[in-house]
Amino acid sequence: MKIRLREPALAVLFIIPAFIFVVLFLYYPLLQTFFYSFFKLHRTVDWLNEPFVGLSNYAAVFKSEAFRDSFLFTLYFTIVTVVLELCLGLGMAIATFSVHHRLRGILRAVMVVPWAIPPIVSAMLWKWLFHADAGVFAYLLRSSGLVENAPPFLTNPTLAVHSIIIASVWKNASIMGILLLGGLASIPKDVYDAAKVDGARTLFRFRRVTLPLLLPTILVTVLFRALLALRMFELSYGMTGGGPGTTTDTLSTFAYKYYFTYARFGVGSSYAMVIFAIVLAVAIIYVSRVRGNLRFKE
Amino acid sequence: MTRANRNRRRHIINGAFEVLVTFAVVAFCLGPLFWVLSTSLKPMGSEYLIPPELWPSKPTLQAYEIILGLSQPGRDDPSDGSTVTGAEEVGISTLGFLVPIRNSLIVASSVAICTLLVSSLAAYAISRLRFRWKIQSLMLLWVGGLLPAVMVIAPTFVLMRSLGLLKTLPSMILPNIAYNIPLATWLLAIYFSQLPWELEDAAKVDGYKPLQIFRKVILPLSAPGLFSAGVFAFLGSWGEFMLASVVTMGIAEVQTVPVAILNLSFEYRYQWTWISAAIIVSVGLMVLVALIFQRWVIQGLTAGSVKY
Repeated sequence: MKIRLREPALAVLFIIPAFIFVVLFLYYPLLQTFFYSFFKLHRTVDWLNEPFVGLSNYAAVFKSEAFRDSFLFTLYFTIVTVVLELCLGLGMAIATFSVHHRLRGILRAVMVVPWAIPPIVSAMLWKWLFHADAGVFAYLLRSSGLVENAPPFLTNPTLAVHSIIIASVWKNASIMGILLLGGLASIPKDVYDAAKVDGARTLFRFRRVTLPLLLPTILVTVLFRALLALRMFELSYGMTGGGPGTTTDTLSTFAYKYYFTYARFGVGSSYAMVIFAIVLAVAIIYVSRVRGNLRFKE
Repeated sequence: MTRANRNRRRHIINGAFEVLVTFAVVAFCLGPLFWVLSTSLKPMGSEYLIPPELWPSKPTLQAYEIILGLSQPGRDDPSDGSTVTGAEEVGISTLGFLVPIRNSLIVASSVAICTLLVSSLAAYAISRLRFRWKIQSLMLLWVGGLLPAVMVIAPTFVLMRSLGLLKTLPSMILPNIAYNIPLATWLLAIYFSQLPWELEDAAKVDGYKPLQIFRKVILPLSAPGLFSAGVFAFLGSWGEFMLASVVTMGIAEVQTVPVAILNLSFEYRYQWTWISAAIIVSVGLMVLVALIFQRWVIQGLTAGSVKY
């Protein structure tokens, strides 16, 4: 027997597998994390049989100094890396854009490389570069005569924070450059020609022509990167393990530790919900910018 | 100064600038990798020499042989001076990096294939079929991808335990498919919607059903879109760490490359030649994939984050 489905029914049938996956492994766990966060769960997640504690997990989270530290570090990390990445990426995009097209091909290929490296592997890589005795930065500092003994990059609180930031900037600046390069390429050429005819100098052209036209791309790129930086996990976990102490613990590594080191799923979940709230705020702006221009033929 | 002269000078300055820019960008992007490559070729122990060698005077593949389990450390190692802690009690079983590579290849390719299958169907429905909740469906699928991994990790672990899938490869494959569906569906929906409608109308006149149109018209025209969605799923699941570190529970047989490399760096934390070799091995393949599919990676990245 042949069953004939009308188009809307068929469409639903086509979408259902994707929905099942996404609901099962993303939305349903999100809901569960939300439930966990109201129970006292130690070494168990059987929340139906454990005491309901209301908001006291959240109270514990907000009272703890470690939370404040990890929150501030995450915020600082996000702002500094995204700003640095934007500056470097913009520089790379503009410099690469004006380069001869044959060199441009090589450059674009090279710029993909840091992005393609798995995050935890790049954490290992930078751990070696920042090695206190045999690392390349220790060597460069020593041989430049600035210091006699290189500082312990990953065990001094301030240096550890900034070492992680450098690693993150390296990994993401070039991909930011590629995204901005796409934005530059979409600016029509006659706009430049017109500005040239009007006798606009290079710097003026950049400030008054390129930048304003590139601004929408910059905004979306920055939001996109901020979303990823806010949930940063691997670099901290791999390079310093959150140390020294808890100075480089991000919100994500903290929640992870609460889950799988201390087995306190209730508090860990309330941590995760705090991250969710922050990410949600940024995501709403991002999604609304992207969604408004989405059109499909009805 | 004549005009021609000035032009020529400007030409030379421009050329020099271009070479300089190229050099700077290449040094920035590849410099750290070069350093690790150089370390990985040094004889064991000589990575601590001060001043360090920029390139080893006696390059050796020793570290790679040890990492891949081809030779046992300490035994056929003539450089007797290297008495680094832990070198003697090394067990070869933990060092075979080939197992994690095999596991990662299985996970990443199954994830890429399944993601493409599931999300191309969904994307086709959203972009080409008539039904009411198109944008809402796409949004629901896409926004899930913005969720931080740490939000879903604990319940996913519990789910995998109750399914009895812990310590198996499917416990990584299934969730990773879900993690990659949002971006893949997004990319493919945008890609499909830009294909010309005339072909589809012609196919309809010929009596093709939607599934046939999908298979015989849409998919063959969408190779670039499928490439970029597939490469993202492959790279993403290859590098996925948080879930893999939890569901493998320290069992070496099912570890993927990211988990294995972190364990290696904990277990032999003074053996930076080995860790470097492991980094190069696990990076090499991904860099190759990224370079081969570079054009589609860039197109996909642009469409996936900023283009709309």
